[in-house]
Amino acid sequence: MKNGKGQLTGEHFLLGDHACAEGAILAGCRFFAGYPITPATEIAERMSVRLPQSDGVYVQMEDELASMNAILGGSWAGVKSMTATSGPGFSLMMENLGLGIMLETPCVLVNVQRGGPSTGLPTLVGQQDMMQARWGSHGDYEIIALSPTSPQDLFDLTIRAFNLSEKYRTPVLVMTDAEVGHMTEKVVIPPVEEIEIIDRPQVHKGDVEPDHFRVYRDSVNGGNGYISPMVSAGEGYRIHVTGLTHDERGYPAMNAQANEWNVRRIIDKIQAHKDDIIEVEEQNLKDAEVVVVSYGISARTSLWPIQMARDEGIRVGYLRLITVWPFPEERIRSLAKKVKGIVVPEINMGQMIREVERCVAGQTQVLGVHRPGGDVLEPDQVLNAIRKAAGRSKRAKKKGKE
Amino acid sequence: MTKQSNGTMLRSERARILGYEPLDEGDWVTGLHPMDDLLRGERLPHIWCQGCGLGTALTTFIGALQWLEKNQDWDLDKVSAVSGIGCTGRIAGYVRLDSFHTTHGRAIPFATGLKLANPELKVVVLSGDGDIAGIGGNHFIHAARRNLDITVVCVNNFNYGMTGGQVGPTTPHEARAVTAQYGNFEYPFNLPYLAAASGASFVARWTVLHARQLEWTLRRALAHPGFSFVEVIAPCSTAYARWNREGRGLDEQNLGRRGLETMKYYQQVGRTVTDAHPKDVDIKFNAKGEITEIIEGEFLDEAKPDLKAAMDQRDEHAEKIWLAEKDAVDNRTEIPARKDHIQRAEVKLGGFGGQGIISAGRIIGVAAAIYDKLEACFTQSYGPEARGGAAGSQVVISSDPIHHPHPVEPTSMIILSQGAYTKYVPSLAPGGVLVIDDSLVELPDDHRTDIDTYGIPATKIAEEAGTSKAANTVMLGFWTAIVGVVSREAMRQAVAESVPAKTIELNLKVFDIGFEHGEKIKT
Repeated sequence: MKNGKGQLTGEHFLLGDHACAEGAILAGCRFFAGYPITPATEIAERMSVRLPQSDGVYVQMEDELASMNAILGGSWAGVKSMTATSGPGFSLMMENLGLGIMLETPCVLVNVQRGGPSTGLPTLVGQQDMMQARWGSHGDYEIIALSPTSPQDLFDLTIRAFNLSEKYRTPVLVMTDAEVGHMTEKVVIPPVEEIEIIDRPQVHKGDVEPDHFRVYRDSVNGGNGYISPMVSAGEGYRIHVTGLTHDERGYPAMNAQANEWNVRRIIDKIQAHKDDIIEVEEQNLKDAEVVVVSYGISARTSLWPIQMARDEGIRVGYLRLITVWPFPEERIRSLAKKVKGIVVPEINMGQMIREVERCVAGQTQVLGVHRPGGDVLEPDQVLNAIRKAAGRSKRAKKKGKE
Repeated sequence: MTKQSNGTMLRSERARILGYEPLDEGDWVTGLHPMDDLLRGERLPHIWCQGCGLGTALTTFIGALQWLEKNQDWDLDKVSAVSGIGCTGRIAGYVRLDSFHTTHGRAIPFATGLKLANPELKVVVLSGDGDIAGIGGNHFIHAARRNLDITVVCVNNFNYGMTGGQVGPTTPHEARAVTAQYGNFEYPFNLPYLAAASGASFVARWTVLHARQLEWTLRRALAHPGFSFVEVIAPCSTAYARWNREGRGLDEQNLGRRGLETMKYYQQVGRTVTDAHPKDVDIKFNAKGEITEIIEGEFLDEAKPDLKAAMDQRDEHAEKIWLAEKDAVDNRTEIPARKDHIQRAEVKLGGFGGQGIISAGRIIGVAAAIYDKLEACFTQSYGPEARGGAAGSQVVISSDPIHHPHPVEPTSMIILSQGAYTKYVPSLAPGGVLVIDDSLVELPDDHRTDIDTYGIPATKIAEEAGTSKAANTVMLGFWTAIVGVVSREAMRQAVAESVPAKTIELNLKVFDIGFEHGEKIKT
């Protein structure tokens, strides 16, 4: 893979969406298919300029159904592929996100979330697609989703998204939002040789006797979490893959037993590697009486009220989900036993809080800080929830400060 | 693979060698049929009904590929077959090629990705009329419009077969279907015309009983550079033919017989008109919906650049644009980092579209983040705020990490229009600094007294220097001097790297005028 005629390095004052595009190109993305939609359009715009300079292909498709399918095709042609969208487009992509999961196709889908439902608030922030990210396509599956807080983070996590998708042969979602996508900040781009780039396990022409090659081979030890090497179109293996329930050879197999093998396979390969996939950022958890659990822009804006609460003497910890899906269940479970309360700020009417509550299972109180889309959370909203979780009224704050 | 002396092998033997259990009971012999190499024998028998036209469609397709392999040196390892959902969609599962069975209607966009990402591949889409013209209709016309170099073979059996014979986009008017038992009240597509009108460069149609002609046409379609479309008319012996009493005669209960009779019927109403205009080839039917004429032949074979060729022409351009941008960034001059601690400063800029409000905000961000090595978060206003041509942007600057990306209570404002004054100034923090272009903004009688207001005739100064467009730069110089959050040198560098090369000198000149004006007023 060529690295492009003009490699960007150094410090740049970059729009979040543009940082995402640069991250993708550094990660090796050479095919982008998309459809214009606010606030994700700038990713497509940047890709349309940058990919032709990097021996890549940019194509604007007729809709998001086509965009999602085109990147699956691109990936099976052996090229790292990406699309980017928002709200309504994300809904349209759900059908073929499922196909991507079923065919075990590495690719990256960026959702620059805006306020919904429906056309909603095209230019303004939301975090309302978090559950759709997990369950939006029909059927049982596991998904990997990452949530960045700044243009730099969006750059870094786009690279990570490609790495995870290649390593585990599955579509990976970058669940960013209008705030981060449309924010311009300093982004430091390291030289490409300093970045860890993972390519899919792959079988090339001549590696295996084609008759013996199986697209979805299980490991010898029972298959739990084994990632089969991928073969691209044109390598001479004459593969067949289908969105139907299939067997090891990729052939349709219409029975319950095959479905179990198939579904377990796509779930197990994520579950078995949770430790590698799940990433969280933690601050002051050791002595925390209250922990703020959040992600994306809401995690970032919570740091201010957390500071205010600490100034008031409340021992607040911070747990940011860098990986949103799979959910860090064990981490939340162990926290639940130790703290007075958990506060979950998010720009929706209560989505990830359900996961937190599920893991907490009544062992401590869980307070949500919610608003539908349109703006980031006000510092006071979060501060008040922290106080409440710590059992301090507004008046008690002076006491706490000593 | 080891083969018996006559080249044949039992299916169970083959399966044993390949190391898997055969899925179904029964054995068959492989290696006898001349098309065995291109068929996934282990998947046979196929699911198609007796009398279905798909077997013939598949055979002609394989025949065409074998001919191309033999006569035009095609490497069939480089051929990908892509299907959607439906009876025809199952073709992908039977051909021994790289084959992709995708979702309903989406074979063409999947094929688009395959072809664009690896132009070496020959990509063929084989799907039914419901898949291509119904649920996938939009993809079909757009791939044709792009003249993407793929071949689309659409087997048209006038209904949705796999789901049991529902009416579809190709069902003749007044014909019967399981969901059109009173007669179809809609009218069908003329698919060759649709393809041609959308931009396809090769368009043809045959019925399956014109097997020879179909195979010859498929050879040409597959080899055609650009979007080629072949419509194959095939009987649906189980559903459409039955509902419409086609192929009735000798033994109506025998599916195979009905299919065959229907094929003959389609062939008999067929009329070969090569070079017919696609608009004239719609399938004719009578008042009862019975098909009365099917025009067949190759209707269009046009040479024009395909999508990838058109894309490749842009490469030279791409290099030019890129180098310009890279130069600007590579030629940066470092300036000494600031040692003083900057408290969170929130700057709001307002004016109307075209005044450079967004670029001015971004320049402040570049100066702070890149040159002064501070934290800076720049955002622009969208949504209701931006209505009526108003433009707004904001920058938060600090020595510490910026958690909250927006101004909560702006500490300074740069205002270039009366509208922006009215909209934004009430939110300025008490004690905050307001800088206005006083050639454009008039302070009202009830102007806030709890803020510091500074005016400069920025537009006038810029006009005198050569262009009113540089008024925003005058304001930046003025603001820099008065507010002092960002250093003068950082701002000058940021201006220089952000404005068009031809206007750097002018912009730096008016920046300095603004700055000096500010210094004077401040003291």
